[in-house]
Amino acid sequence: VNLRKFIGCAVREFAFIARKPGCGALPVTTDACWGRCETWERPVLDPPFIESYQRVCTYNQTQFMTVQLPNCSAGVDPHYTYPVALKCNCGVCVTSTTECIASY
Amino acid sequence: YKDLSPGCRLYPFNVTIRSDQQGTCRGAHMVYACVGYCESSAFPSRYSVMLESNFTRNITSASRCCTISKLTKVKLRVECPGGFHHDNIEILSARACRCDMCRKSRY
Repeated sequence: VNLRKFIGCAVREFAFIARKPGCGALPVTTDACWGRCETWERPVLDPPFIESYQRVCTYNQTQFMTVQLPNCSAGVDPHYTYPVALKCNCGVCVTSTTECIASY
Repeated sequence: YKDLSPGCRLYPFNVTIRSDQQGTCRGAHMVYACVGYCESSAFPSRYSVMLESNFTRNITSASRCCTISKLTKVKLRVECPGGFHHDNIEILSARACRCDMCRKSRY
């Protein structure tokens, strides 16, 4: 797949470092979502004068994985749970389950 | 939308205005929207984000959307039967587009 020309939304490998206070860090490789979804803005006659359609590439079906972080202090739960994308799709960023940030 | 390639571009469409429900006076003009495919991604949230949201927001979405970066005003001529015409109406049209912030709060 040529990522520079890719249109759509797909599961893609994502590497991050799992860390939380009181424990050591653990590199993790998982499945996340990446792509290009159709979005548009058009002028309209009535307020707010611009109508927008904004769908972004996000998790459609999720599984959770739990790992154990190393070197945790006494009394700190070593478990770290993160989402794994099973399916991704172009959809609205739902603020109840997702931190929606403007760009990256 | 036919152009299936990355980016955010001007896209023409027609606007029709009617003076009343019967459509006695009418005007039409071509204006531009911005349509396209910008990059977006979603991945596991940092621990601080999960903690702040009481472990509800475990996904972070970082996205750009196709937006209008420059607007222009276009004069639309409204014609009535019998050769009368209303004052011209000003409508908006996109002049430039850009992959930028998804500004809609519920994007």
